[in-house]
Amino acid sequence: MTMPTKKDFLQPKHNGYYSISENVVSREIEGEIILVPLVSGMGNLEDELYTLNESGKAIWKRLDGKRDLQTIAVELAAEYNAPPGEIEEDVLGLARELLERGMLVEVQKD
Amino acid sequence: MRRPRITSRSLPGFPLWDKAKVTRLPLSFDLELTARCNNNCRHCCINLPAGDSAAKAQEMEFGFIMDIADQAISMGALWCLLTGGEPLLRRDFAEIYLGLRKKGLLVSVFTNAALVGEEEAELFRAYPPRHMEVSVYGVTKESFERVTRTPGSFAAFRKGLDRLLKAGIKVRFKTMAVRSNLLELPAIADYCRARTSQVFRFDPLIHLRVDGDRARNEDIKGERLTAQEIVALERSDPERFGALERNCDSLILPGRGASGCRHLLYCGAGQASFAVTWDSRFSLCLSLRHPDCLYDLRQGSLSLRQAWKDFSPHVLALQSGKADFLQKCGGCSIINLCLWCPAHAHLETGELDKPVDYFCEVAQARFRALQEAVRGGKKDQFS
Repeated sequence: MTMPTKKDFLQPKHNGYYSISENVVSREIEGEIILVPLVSGMGNLEDELYTLNESGKAIWKRLDGKRDLQTIAVELAAEYNAPPGEIEEDVLGLARELLERGMLVEVQKD
Repeated sequence: MRRPRITSRSLPGFPLWDKAKVTRLPLSFDLELTARCNNNCRHCCINLPAGDSAAKAQEMEFGFIMDIADQAISMGALWCLLTGGEPLLRRDFAEIYLGLRKKGLLVSVFTNAALVGEEEAELFRAYPPRHMEVSVYGVTKESFERVTRTPGSFAAFRKGLDRLLKAGIKVRFKTMAVRSNLLELPAIADYCRARTSQVFRFDPLIHLRVDGDRARNEDIKGERLTAQEIVALERSDPERFGALERNCDSLILPGRGASGCRHLLYCGAGQASFAVTWDSRFSLCLSLRHPDCLYDLRQGSLSLRQAWKDFSPHVLALQSGKADFLQKCGGCSIINLCLWCPAHAHLETGELDKPVDYFCEVAQARFRALQEAVRGGKKDQFS
């Protein structure tokens, strides 16, 4: 049996539920979503803040631990009238990046 | 739908600062947590004794500070500076610091490091500040304590600093260049630069007490360097003098005299920032202590938002028609080389629009030094 590596834990699952980590505070200022890390190690030390573009914002706002990534992708595909497969790729891509930075945590469902 | 992206940014490079230049937006604020200090520095503008119970009783309570922070955040604030006095002197410092961080503010701290124990170092390691600026007064017990007038302060400073550095905190250093440590300044610079890759800066421009204490103001004046000493010091520091040379174009404003502007505030205070003093008074900056420029948030009926929106425009609109001001400071092309501003003028003279001879001497000397350094290439600028 192969033991899972750290990288495996950082691979988001399309049927996984995720929410924003307590280690980051999300702020909305003048229409921009700004992520303020609370702890160190979320990226380059000199980079103090993070922002999301419009589509990143749309995904971020849905990362509430109540719907899985696939559901988020379906919702967005309908909203943006875009191919669901493509959108799911984007959702998984952003989720992976957020997991790597420690800004997202998986929510265990019973 | 465009590909989602997350972009990392440093605070100074944040686009909202540009927005703040157009529409006033309070992205940052200074919180003066106390006027008390564990040191008794000769040059300091705000250091009531640590045990001053009357001052302690007037300090903003934890809940009030959190309320200020909530209001500031709702107005767009991203960054908060905690200063004093010595902010770590407050027993609830850790709660305040953590409370602000958890609300989503970047927090910087100005400290003398002497009160940084293991618990504080752990707090800063776990929840890093944007940066900590530590004041260094000397590199020997003798010189350090000549400035602080507090026995044991050098050892306490070193212990606290070691804890911060061991915890991996981004420490910036600052030293006030004063008569009591003048001869040791090169050694102080070496000491600081050996301990940080962050900023080290020295400041020879010291202003008077915010409480107007006359005896203490005499101490401060006794610590001031002459204009010639300040220029010699700046010229001996390639980093600092190089920055002055590079920024000549923005520092020297030949056309300013002809602008006819009578406004007192020219520095940008109140555009993207504000301050709250230790005893709950709203101001555009912590040096600005003229009664007409302060609004007591605890006693008054205005909320912070209202103070920002309705009170500060009156301060920003302050003008002077005095001939002395208009001839000297109002139209001065080298005002950016000068310590003069209405806040400092008030501390020196009791008036917001009065020129200060010492500041003028320093600015002129700095101008002459720059003139010599850039002679030739930028001749027009100095005409």
